[in-house]
Amino acid sequence: MARSSVRAAVLLAATGALVLLALLSLTLGSRDIAPFEVLQVFTDPTPSADATVIREMRLPRTLIAIVVGAALAVSGAILQSLARNPLADAGVLGINSGAAVAVVVSAFVFGSMPVSGSVWFAFIGAGATTVAVYAIAAVGREGATPVKLALAGVCITALCGSITSALVLADPDALEELRMWQVGALGGRYFPVLTQVAPFLAVGLVAALCTGRVLNLLSLGEDLARGLGLRTGAARAGLFALVAVLSGAATAACGPIAFVGLMVPHAARLITGPDYRWILAYSAVLGPALLLGADIIGRLVLPGGEIPVGVVIGVLGAPAFVLLVRYRNLVEL
Amino acid sequence: MRRPLFAATAVAALLLSGCSASDSDADGGDVAWSYTSGDGETYTATEVPTRIIAEASSAKALMEFGIEPVGIWASNPVDEDVALRGVDFSGIEILGEEWGKIDVAAAAELQPDLIVGDWWPVEEAYSGLEGGVEEESKKLAELAPVVGPAQSDSVVDLIEGYAELAETLGADPDQIAESRTAFEAAVTDFEAAAAEKPGLTALAVSPYDTNYAIAVPEHAPELLDFQRWGLNVINPDTPDPDFPYWETLSMENADKYQPDLLLFDDRWHPGNEETLAAAPISSSITAFAAGQTTTWPGYWLHTYSDYAAELTRLAEVIRSVDENLVQE
Repeated sequence: MARSSVRAAVLLAATGALVLLALLSLTLGSRDIAPFEVLQVFTDPTPSADATVIREMRLPRTLIAIVVGAALAVSGAILQSLARNPLADAGVLGINSGAAVAVVVSAFVFGSMPVSGSVWFAFIGAGATTVAVYAIAAVGREGATPVKLALAGVCITALCGSITSALVLADPDALEELRMWQVGALGGRYFPVLTQVAPFLAVGLVAALCTGRVLNLLSLGEDLARGLGLRTGAARAGLFALVAVLSGAATAACGPIAFVGLMVPHAARLITGPDYRWILAYSAVLGPALLLGADIIGRLVLPGGEIPVGVVIGVLGAPAFVLLVRYRNLVEL
Repeated sequence: MRRPLFAATAVAALLLSGCSASDSDADGGDVAWSYTSGDGETYTATEVPTRIIAEASSAKALMEFGIEPVGIWASNPVDEDVALRGVDFSGIEILGEEWGKIDVAAAAELQPDLIVGDWWPVEEAYSGLEGGVEEESKKLAELAPVVGPAQSDSVVDLIEGYAELAETLGADPDQIAESRTAFEAAVTDFEAAAAEKPGLTALAVSPYDTNYAIAVPEHAPELLDFQRWGLNVINPDTPDPDFPYWETLSMENADKYQPDLLLFDDRWHPGNEETLAAAPISSSITAFAAGQTTTWPGYWLHTYSDYAAELTRLAEVIRSVDENLVQE
């Protein structure tokens, strides 16, 4: 019990930090706006350019960072358990490459389009590749084992990668679209993108946060879980679908963002221990905090310009991940 | 490779011969063709060149005056480039459709006796031979002398340079005078339109990704022309230090300048206007919110006919917009 209240207190503190980061995200940016004014625009309906920037540019960006960060971290936690692979993330399943190929194909067929248009194609591509990976892995008597999932993911990733390269070489529009999309970014995403992906992410997150008990059972091993009454095949398929929706929608909204899905569940496990109910809850708070923090850093590092959040996370994530792995033997799941 | 050598020998010849430039036909042949190019050199030949390979925009300029090249190279696919609209290149060999890539072997097959491109004074190079271009492509300059008028602070000077070059190559002076007259009428009309709206301010932009790029007229000859002819094109105050052609603002700051009329670079239109439309800050740019937008011919004009058409279109736009949209 005492352990639980400590966990709850730390989670509360992390949530507080996330709220603080969200406020910073509304305050900081390339346009100089006084912090006091930031709070004022939410109470004062008078239209002004500052109000537009905060309400319609920084607010959707912050909200997207929160839901996408949560989706990436939570789906990463589920995936690592599901694939019994501490290095599993959306990239392993071919989700990033599937979304990329769909974005490029759409640019090839329809010409370049705004982000709010390519989101749908990215989502469809991510979903299609996840289904394909699972279908390939599920063939055979023993079903979708972790090894078969990883191999199918590698195979689909290679296939999508070659199609993407072929189209990009043939069509400048497709190259331009891929260039925009390939680096995960939060800039240039406004409310239309949020409203497109929010329903999927909201439903997916609520459902994912309820899977803690099932994941705990699965982590006991196939036989024990089945002995305790869990229909493991159905549970796996359901969890897999959840991962596809969450990371597919997140990738569609922001492009591929590495490390959040990989690193945050490990950090959460470090704090909470092996109980997935806590790991999921922590992931849902730490994921957004990491993404928002990295995005804020990306806005401030260059004077007059921005570094996309995908780049910042990549630069910060690699050494942080190495530290984490060295700090504790994480390979046991 | 060869071009600096050319220049060096020309300078040496000039030094040796003192101030008299007339005895540059040192090899004894009669000078049938002579042209002072953008790089300041005077090039001569014993026969008027007829087998010309030209950069696509230069080709368009020469063709308007009746001089047809045998081959062209372009920086973009010929049928997609805004600058090449309305030209019929059929029967002319296309030697490249990507910046920096020229098929020099195919060019050699054409046995050119003259190569034509714009001279860029800042880069000190002709189009297609500037820094960054593939070394293989630069071998084009070994096939024949490279000439062309210099880019300057007015598109009119550039076109007049092509008119002069075309005349040395046998163009009909009456035809040149005819397109010049039509163009001058368009300028007069543009000046009249601008004079009718003395309070009108314009801003030349090209938004992309999350950036709002504003063209710096100082480096855009057509915008300098517009200013000369009475249209108040705003000079942005802080051009980018490493690429002063633009002042790039983040989208959050896109309302920094408030013109009455927003001009979008037509090479990237309508994509650049759609990018701005998707950014909520566009509602704070008064001209955009009021629909006072149009395009401007961005850095590509090479002919009187194109320029006249653009000026006529812009004059119409200027007459139709509210010059007092933005109150100072």
